[in-house]
This record gives sequence, C-alpha cells and structure tokens, in this order.
Amino acid sequence: MLLAGGMTCSAATFYVTIAGLGGEPDYEQRFAQWASELDSILKSEGRDAKISTLKGPDAARANVRTAMEKIAREARPGDVLVVMIIGHGSYDGVEYKINLPGPDLSAAELGTLLNRVPATRQLVVNMTSASGASIDALRKDNRVLITATKSGSEKNATVFARYWVEALRDAAADADKNETISALEAFRYAEHKATEYYDSQKRLATEHPLLEDTGKGAGVRTPSSQDSESLRAGALPVVRLAAAKAMANDPRKRELVTKKDQLEQQIDELKYRKAALAPEDYKKQLTALLVELAQTQEELDK
Amino acid sequence: MRLEFQRRDAGIARMRHMSMATLTLQTCAFVVLAVAALHAQTLEQAETLWKAKRYDAANESFRVLVVAHPKNPDYKVRWGRLLLERFNREDAATLFHEAIEIKKNHAGALLGLAIVAADGFEAKAVEFAEQALAADPKLTEARVLLARLALEDNDPQKAGEQADKALAILPQALDAMAVRASIDWLNDRTDTPWIGRILENDPRYGDAYALGGHFLILNRRYEEGIRFYRKALELKPDLWSARSQLGVNLMRLGQDDEAREQLEQCYANHYRDAATVNSLRLLDSYKNYVTFRTGNTILKLHKKEADLLRPYFEAELKRAITTYQKKYAFKLDRPVQLEVYPDHEDFAVRTMGLPGLGALGVTFGYVVAMDSPSGRKPGSFHWASTMWHELSHVYVLSATQHRVPRWFTEGMAVYEETEVSSEWGDRLDAQVIGALKHKKLLPVTELDRGFVHPSYPSQVVVSYYQAGRICGFIAHEWSYAKLLAMMHDFGANMTTPDVIQKELALTPEEFDKRFFAALDAETKKVVDGFEDWHKGVKEVAGLARSNDWQQVLDKSNGIRDIYPDYVEAGNLYEFRADAYAALNNKPAAIGELEQYARMGGRNPETLKRLATLLAEAGKNSEAARALDRLNFIDLVDEELHRRLGDLWMADNNVEGAIREYRAALAEKPIDLAASHYNLARAYRRANRPDVARDELLAALEEAPGFRPAQKLLLEIMQSEQGK
Repeated sequence: MLLAGGMTCSAATFYVTIAGLGGEPDYEQRFAQWASELDSILKSEGRDAKISTLKGPDAARANVRTAMEKIAREARPGDVLVVMIIGHGSYDGVEYKINLPGPDLSAAELGTLLNRVPATRQLVVNMTSASGASIDALRKDNRVLITATKSGSEKNATVFARYWVEALRDAAADADKNETISALEAFRYAEHKATEYYDSQKRLATEHPLLEDTGKGAGVRTPSSQDSESLRAGALPVVRLAAAKAMANDPRKRELVTKKDQLEQQIDELKYRKAALAPEDYKKQLTALLVELAQTQEELDK
Repeated sequence: MRLEFQRRDAGIARMRHMSMATLTLQTCAFVVLAVAALHAQTLEQAETLWKAKRYDAANESFRVLVVAHPKNPDYKVRWGRLLLERFNREDAATLFHEAIEIKKNHAGALLGLAIVAADGFEAKAVEFAEQALAADPKLTEARVLLARLALEDNDPQKAGEQADKALAILPQALDAMAVRASIDWLNDRTDTPWIGRILENDPRYGDAYALGGHFLILNRRYEEGIRFYRKALELKPDLWSARSQLGVNLMRLGQDDEAREQLEQCYANHYRDAATVNSLRLLDSYKNYVTFRTGNTILKLHKKEADLLRPYFEAELKRAITTYQKKYAFKLDRPVQLEVYPDHEDFAVRTMGLPGLGALGVTFGYVVAMDSPSGRKPGSFHWASTMWHELSHVYVLSATQHRVPRWFTEGMAVYEETEVSSEWGDRLDAQVIGALKHKKLLPVTELDRGFVHPSYPSQVVVSYYQAGRICGFIAHEWSYAKLLAMMHDFGANMTTPDVIQKELALTPEEFDKRFFAALDAETKKVVDGFEDWHKGVKEVAGLARSNDWQQVLDKSNGIRDIYPDYVEAGNLYEFRADAYAALNNKPAAIGELEQYARMGGRNPETLKRLATLLAEAGKNSEAARALDRLNFIDLVDEELHRRLGDLWMADNNVEGAIREYRAALAEKPIDLAASHYNLARAYRRANRPDVARDELLAALEEAPGFRPAQKLLLEIMQSEQGK
C-alpha cells in the first residue's frame, strides 16, 4: 500500500484516547491499562504528535469536550486526528452512548465535536460494546470509522481493544512492511485476532468489528479495494515502526526516495493488471521491478 | 469408538425434528377451543388415522381426545406411541410420565418409557420394562424389549430366554422370533429356522431382517448389516426405518451415492427422523471437502483446513498403518478412509443411533470418521491419539471379520494409544478413581454392558479404562502375542469365557480376581490418598495465590506423586514450576514442566512456556521437541508453527522447518509476507532455489518494501548471475 502521500512533512497528528467507565475493578484496570499502553506507544514514536489520554476520573465528558475543543482550535486542514475509545457503550434502540464517569457522551455529541475539528483526515476507533450503533452518527466523508461491534445489540464487553493495542506495537501488523501501520492494517490485525480468540475459545462471537471509510456505508468486516472500502483506511497512518519518514526528509536521498515511490507505484499497477497478463510474463515483470526496488532500497540504506 | 472423557454431549444440537416432532404439548391450551368442533373424536378414529399413516390427522385426534379426557392415561399412552413413531421422543416421554401420574403402574406407559430409554441406550430401559411386566405379565412387547436389550449387551443366553418367555405367552409373536433369529445370525447360523417360521406367518415381515441388521451394525458388522437391511426392503419396500438405516450405513462405508438415493427416498416419503435429515444435510456438505488418495490411504478433509492438516494427518495415518501392519501381522486388503470434521455436529451425525455419544472418533470397517483439531478447544483433544485408537479398530475388526466383543476391541485401542507414547491416551481421572474406590468395575464377561447400557453416568468412561487396563494386564502378565491369539479366537466366533480359558488357562472369574488384585495394587496409592491429595492441592493453590512460593514447593512435594496423572487445570506441576520460576530456579521449573509433558499434560500455553524456558536456556532442540508435541494437540496455531519453524531452522532441520512454515502459511496469517519469506529461506537452505524464489516473490508481491526479503532477493540474483 502506498503511503507516500499519507504523511506530509507539515501535517500534525492529534491523538485522543478515551478509556471510559469500567463499572467493575477488573474492567477499570483493563481499560486504564490499554489506554496507558496506547499512550506509551504513541509517545515512543518520538515524532511531533499531540497526545491526549483521558482515563479514570479524567475521562469525564467535560474533559473530553475540552480536549476536543482545544484540538479544534489548533488543528489545520491536512492534519490528522485519531480518536480511540475504550470501554463500555450502551444503545437503547435510539441513541448510542459511551459510558464515562459522570454524564455519558452520546455518539451525536461526539460527532459534533469531531466536525468542529478542521483536520480533514480523521480516524475514530470506537472499541466499546454496542459501538456498531455509533456508525450512523459518526460517519462522514474523509473520516475512517472503526467499531468493535456490528450493531448496538452486541452488548457484551469486547476484546477488540486488546488486539488494537497489540496491532500498534506488533511488526506483524505491518503487512506491507513499509514500517507504518495504517488504520486498515491495524483493523485487519485486530479483527483477525478477535475472531481467532472466539474460535479458539469455542465461544460464540459477541463482537463483529466493522470498518467504514466511504462516508456513506454501513461498514464492512473484510474491507477490500473492490468495494472501495479500505482506500482511505489504507492511506491513513496510525503509527510508524521506524524512522522511515526521516529518510524522506533527507535531501541527499530525496531522488532515491522518489525513485522508490515510483517503483512501488509501478508494482501496484502491475498487480492490478495481474489477471490480464500471462503468469510467466507477470512474474518476469514483477521480478524486474522488485529487483530494482531492492537495489534502490539498498542504496538508501547506505 | 474413541470417547471424549471430559464431557458427554447431551445430544445433537442440530437435530431437525420434522413433521410431528414440531408439534408440542405446549399448544394444548389452544386446542381447547377446537374441542367443540371435534367432540366426536374417538380413540378408534385416531387409531384408524394412524394405521392409514395419516399422521397429522391422527395427531390432531389424539390431541383433542387428551384435552377432552385429561384423566384418561390410555389416550396419553397411545398418543405417546404415535409421537414415538414419528421421532418425537421428548414429548412422548412427557405423555408417558403424565399417564403414570394418573395411574402409577400403567403397563403401557412404563413400556413407553422403556422404549424411550432403550432408544437412548439408557440402562433404565431394563428397569422400566420389568416394571411394565410386573404390571402386566402378559405384555409380550415388554418381554421382547428385554430380550433385545440383553442381546445389545452381548448376552445371547438371556436374550433367548426372554424371547422364549414371550413366545410362551404368544406363540405367534413375530418380534420375539426375530430376536431368536438375530441370535442365530450373530452366531453365523444363516440357516436359522426362525426366519422360516416368521415368513410362514407373514411373508412381508421384513422387520425381522431389519432387526438382524440392527444387531449386526451394533456389533460393527456393517457390510452384513447392510445386506440384512436390503433383505428387509425386498420383503417390505415401505419399511422406511430400514431404508433410512440402509442409507446411513452405506454412508458410513463411504458409498455416498447410493446412500443419498436411499435417504432421499425416505425423505420424499415423509420419513424424516433426525438420522435421515442430518445425514442428507451432511451429504450436501461434502462438496466442501477434498479427498487425497495414496496407495493405502484416502484422506477426506474440509477445504478450509486441508492445506494445514494434510501433511500431519497423512504422515500419521501412514505411520499408524505401517506400525499396525507389523504388530498385528496383518495387511489390510484396501485403503483406509479417514474423514476429518471441523464441525463436531457433522461428526456427530456419523455416530447417530450408536451408543456412546460424545465420541471423538468412530470406525466403520475401513472408514474412520473423527473430529478435526479445529473443532475442539485447544488442549482438549489429542487428535493423533484418537487416530491411532481408531486405526487399531480397523485392524482388529478386519482381522476378526468384525466378530469381536466391544470390550476387547476398545481395550486394544486404548492400550495401543499408550503404546505409541506414554504421553498419549487418557489419564486416570476422578470418575475412574471413584469407580475403583466403590468397586464399580464389571466382570470381564459383562463389560460390554458398561459400554452399551451404562447404569451410571461415567460408566462408559470407566469401561474404556477397564478394557484398556485388561489388555495392558494381559500383555504384561502373559504377552502381546496372547492378545493377538485372543483376537483371532474371537474372529473364530469364540466367546469371552472360552477365549480366556483357552489362552490364559483361567476361568473368567479367576481372571477377574487376578486382574482386580493387580489393579488394586497399582492404584491403591491414588485411590486411598485421593482425599488427601485433593485437600493438599487446594492448600497449594491458596499458597500460590499469596505468592508463598517456598511453601508451595514444600507442601506439594509429598502430594504431587499421590496422583501423578493429574495434569488438568490446577495441577501441581504448574504450581511447582511457577514457584521455581519465582525463586529464580529455571532449571527446576523446566524439570517440572517436562514432567508435566511426560505425564500427558496438554495445555498449549504450558507447553509453549516450557519451550520458551528451554530456548532461553539455549536448548533449542529440546524446545523444538516441546513445541512439536503440540502438533498433535493444537495444530491450529500459527504462532506455534512459526516458532517451531524458526527453532528447526536454527537446528538445521530444514525439512521440519519447511513443514512448519507451510503450516503457518496455510493458516492465512496476518503477516503473509513474513510467512512467505520464512518459507523462501527454508527452501533456499534445502537447495530448492526455484521454489525459494517463488516464495520470495510472493513475499515481496505482498510487501514490496520488506527489507529482509529484498536482501535475500538480491543475494539470490547475485548468486544466479555468478553461476
């Protein structure tokens, strides 16, 4: 997946992590721990990210509003906003709410707060129970939306958050090995692991994660470029595993980076034409491009 | 049949009762409204409709009668019998119980309950039938049922006596004569005079052959059973129960096309019991399976897991065949077919109508059906042990032409499992310990009863254990050759007492005495010390919770070996390993976990922990062996295959690494690129450059920027250019 255009030098990324009310000590601890882990993953990246992590009593609705309003003031078009919500959600058939200390926050209220943020690329990862019910209120053009459940009727506590956190620190989640974990890669990883969890436990799955990035769909479980889901999610970076970006900023290597980007683009185009080519022809062309790409990368690594 | 020791399924969840089965008693209240309109209904009318096979109308008539006469037990009993005939055992049993509440010793109701219990192979069937006879000594149907139950228990003498008593009351009792004929057929007396007497009375009485077929199938003589069902249908083509059984058993032998034809005929003629419907559904699902053939094996796997399972199952199947061929000094005359079901309910369809639900594997002559490792919770199922168990049946049944008592073939199969490895087979569990303590084991001549009609919930499990220990005892005290000699004696139609007398020079009673004495001595420590062990484990668990690790070691030291077989949750090996690890004594922690594995511990996480500790200690080969164990327990684990592949690569076991990396890839991992890359490395090490290059291209096609793969590609290109 090509992410060359995904992270421009001037773009800032704003992260907001909310760990809602656990209700029981076990959940309180679990939610807070996941939020802390996300916080440390994001901070360890060492780039100029703006991180707000709200957990325990700090996750009150007023604090969420304050944090979002601050970002609305600071962010610019072209920036990226990533909101990750951990905890319990509820759905009464009409309205979805995130359970927070004090008054809860409805999906509609969250949607209003998000709409005020000028960052044109947004990712909302709602990992609460019943989170599927928040899709209608949060769906918007240029916003990638991920939920742990497919509807409001999946009300059991979810495991998706656990695997989402794992995805952001596991190199295996980086399927295209470009040292950046995109929203799509993290979603696929967490969805796969959550499914595997229920399969291995021989339990009926009580959560079915969805991804929606078209601004008009109901969300899909296995996004693919054929149905246009995944295009935005694939181009939206969540974390980077190495200093790939630093290389792109090195003027001495800019020419090589440009060549590398072009080769990657040619490989993508060739892959799209695969079905129309004879297998041997495809293999020959692919090998030639891959060898050239590998040689370019070797030069870059010197 | 290999039984699941941990749990017995209550039933098959997906049974789809059709027709009348969907009509429940709960709707009775509604029917009150209909009474006025149907007040003229009589029992005779209901019976006439039933006889005319107008089942829905008959059901309605009975419903109205019962609502109109709620205190009449006879109506309830007859309605119950109709429901029983139309595959609704649950509601039939409810009606019989209601009749008994009205009239405590209602013979018909007691007989109804006996039939219900007999259908489910419950020991209570005998009790109910005897109560029915006490209420009505001339109830020949109850007497015949007792005869059938005795024959199911492999007690032909008792069965014959009961059938004779029925004939004494009613000389023309064709069902009693059919039991007599079945006894002869089971003894290979094909010229039984009973069938002539039956057909003189009723030339269309195919039911006699159907009963013979039932007993032959129960004794695993499937091909003969099928022939009998065919004879039954020649006499009575509309004997749908026989046609359904013909279809089910053809399917068991892999003759799917004719099976479908027979079952579809039943379905089209409204004979839609659970076996018929579920078998048809299973046949439909076979489009999702792929078949792999070699010279002596046929492997049928679900498409979704065929790539993963095939290398392991095929290799183990061949190893088992090679081993057994040598051990049993006997070569099979056709390939063994192994069917592996990822959905336990599909597998369960294969065992319907046979005793011992909850099985993990089952053998039908040369066809073995079993659960897939993916169909079970990780750690709960040793698939290789199950496969070897079933393969032993294939050999014993073939060598004896299926003339072998259940206790012997099961005993051999259990014994063979632990002969492959002491880690295989089932551990001595609390149910067996309880049975040993309360002297609930059966004399060897009655052991079949423990499998077919268990009189207490765990008796089937206990019977497997006992049968296995008997075979182990004979092999130890006499020789394995004695077991083979006994097998051939059974094949020559000798009875258990005669075989024991001939081969062991003991009466069955003398054998039981020696066996029980040896077993008592062997198990005395755990049986006598079980309570102390149990209390001790609870105490150790408490100490572990409070991190009092030295106390955990001190306290568990004496009690672990009272019951060394205990490797389930909360076992002392793991507590002790935790304690050693907490006290920074890793070698001792490894020692405890190795002992856990040797004793048959199967928790995947615990075995992985052992592998991690071994790898940390630089013992890569041992770590690989620890993980390789898991391939027999939890195949569906991508991480396992990847780790084992890495360990084997480090250990230069390249073929092993290729197998594991291929397995990892077959599980469609998230990190596809890394999986292809690992495989490329292994192929390259194995000097298979073409395949290595293909795998590498697959890795880079997935992730063009994957640095290690790029480096390897350049290396390969350079080395190719240098040639």
